[in-house]
Amino acid sequence: MTRLSRRSFLTAAGVSLATPYIARAQSNAPIKVGGMLPMSGAASIEGRQVLLGLQFAVEEINAKGGLLDRKIELVIEDDESNSTKGVTAVRRLIERDKVPFIVGTYASAVVVAAVKVAAEYKVPMLSGGSTAAAGTDQNTPGDPWFFRSWPDSNKQGEDTAKAIVEKFKKTKVAIIHDNTNYGVTLADQVTRVVTAVGGVIVSRDSFNAGEQDFSSMLTKVRTLRPEAVYIGGWAGDGANIVRQAAEIGLRAQFVGSGSMLSDDFIKLAGPASEGFAVATVFEPSTPNPVGRAFADRFRARFNQDANTFSSIGFDSTSIGLEAMRRVGRPDGQEIQKMIRGGMKDFALAQGPAGTTAAFNEKGSVDFPDFIAVIKDGKRRLEV
Amino acid sequence: MDLFLQYLVNGAVTGSTYVLVAVGLTLIFGILGVVNFAHGEFYMIGGYAGIFAVTAMNLPLLPAIVFVLAVAACVGLAAEAILHRPMKDRDATSSIVSSFGLAVALQNAALIVMGPQPQRLNLDASKMPLLSELPTEFGPVFLPHQRMLIPLTMVALIGALYAVLRYTWTGRSLRAMAQHSTVARLCGVRVDRVAMVTFATGAALAGIAGMLMSSVFLVYPIVGNMIALKAFTVVILGGMGNVIGAAVAGLLLGVIESLTSAYVSNSTRDIVGFVIVIGVLLFLPNGLFGKSVGRS
Repeated sequence: MTRLSRRSFLTAAGVSLATPYIARAQSNAPIKVGGMLPMSGAASIEGRQVLLGLQFAVEEINAKGGLLDRKIELVIEDDESNSTKGVTAVRRLIERDKVPFIVGTYASAVVVAAVKVAAEYKVPMLSGGSTAAAGTDQNTPGDPWFFRSWPDSNKQGEDTAKAIVEKFKKTKVAIIHDNTNYGVTLADQVTRVVTAVGGVIVSRDSFNAGEQDFSSMLTKVRTLRPEAVYIGGWAGDGANIVRQAAEIGLRAQFVGSGSMLSDDFIKLAGPASEGFAVATVFEPSTPNPVGRAFADRFRARFNQDANTFSSIGFDSTSIGLEAMRRVGRPDGQEIQKMIRGGMKDFALAQGPAGTTAAFNEKGSVDFPDFIAVIKDGKRRLEV
Repeated sequence: MDLFLQYLVNGAVTGSTYVLVAVGLTLIFGILGVVNFAHGEFYMIGGYAGIFAVTAMNLPLLPAIVFVLAVAACVGLAAEAILHRPMKDRDATSSIVSSFGLAVALQNAALIVMGPQPQRLNLDASKMPLLSELPTEFGPVFLPHQRMLIPLTMVALIGALYAVLRYTWTGRSLRAMAQHSTVARLCGVRVDRVAMVTFATGAALAGIAGMLMSSVFLVYPIVGNMIALKAFTVVILGGMGNVIGAAVAGLLLGVIESLTSAYVSNSTRDIVGFVIVIGVLLFLPNGLFGKSVGRS
């Protein structure tokens, strides 16, 4: 009887068990793709909404048999809306998981820090909600490594300001904004655009973010009889202003900045939010057939309505996956080239019908924003 | 002129909150010598307790107020056990620093439990008996029931507090402590009980303010920061430890802020109060209503 030492037995057993897996790893182990989002911290609510879009895109691809004969595995890192954590997360995704592209992230400051690292490793990033112009402005024109498949915050502000005069036909505009960089920049922009298209700014008031009592300021604004009131600031303050304005009987077309594009805003402002207008790139009721189909499939899968956040996550992930399919292998550099110029025929869920992933040389897709109006507690697109 | 009256009333409403928060703060300082930087968090907890009572427990207004008073008073008792009892024989800076710590701990606890998004208390004051029969328009002044509730509650609670301080044994022992704690102890005042009553009362008043304001405004984890700063302004204006001074100064600050945002500019409203405080500290160190007699 041949004596088998315990060690050699175990080795043999281990090899025979592991062999099929090692073989598979070479041929059809899942391709890992990266997702980086705020899963905890201040923006975790938004981050989780975006995540559903990422997961949904990957699920759909896997249900169709995956890509390049392999399944797709989504690896998620939490950046906590913190630049340092974001940089670490990008390194981990690239070095440990060897992802060919990353969808992320929500906070624009984190994007600006993280994309520098990703670009060094030649791994492209696709926005997970970041809309600030700073995200794409840091790109080298013609060679972007951060892609955002919808217009930046400047364009959003411009479309909103134009809508006040051109869509709602209101020319006397009062501006209320908070004293943060965000609020002041928006107020300057609205002033510029509204006067350029023939409107008049009747007043401009500022407040400290988080301030609670607006009654005296709004009483004063009411005496100026503005036809429209533009609010630039965070959603909570906006909701507070809209509610207190209704209380004192300030009736005008209220228009808000992009931050007020959330269901929380409607919940906080209550019935006072009726008629409130805000710019958006996607709503489940979008006239875009691709977007509408996405919304229907999303509803069937998650039993909840898709929103701007999930559409953003879905589009960014789909663009990355499709670019990888066209390239034929998980190679970051080739995928970046493909996204840059080769996706002009790829239809998106966001934007008006016919919007495609035609990135400009700064890495952004330009299309006109929708102006949604809140009616019966829901944002509706008037087209 | 019509608007001037409206601005005065708007100011009186926010001023009433300042009064409710500041009176507790000034009591705690005057009686125990504790500078409590966690006082704004009593306000925040009151707001969340109110939301819990009304939305989760479906309580009507009065029981909800009682619930909020009880919760806030318990938080006050706990704060006393942390900020005052172990530190009363130490340097005053110990309790100041630990009150900062308590404030940060409570804010983060609220962040974890309630989340960062602002919340609102859905309380329909216009359907309440008695209150709903009051008019909401007084000549040129418009005051919704929701807001009217705040000065009314303030007057009732501060009136009750004044009566307790003036006419009851507890009130007398509180005032005795404020004047001289050693002599008070010699006369049979139970010092540790006075400390507990003081903290519970102060926290309950701030909690009620938080509850009422979260039906008009919003409540979120760091809402207490600004309100605590405002309350300190009021306490300094009214004279440290002076209850009636705090009541008058609170209303005054509310009105000044309202007039500033109406006639000067809204962005300067938060500055005005602090500028006045610096002026008062420089020229009237005992506050607008303080007596300039030193303690023995």
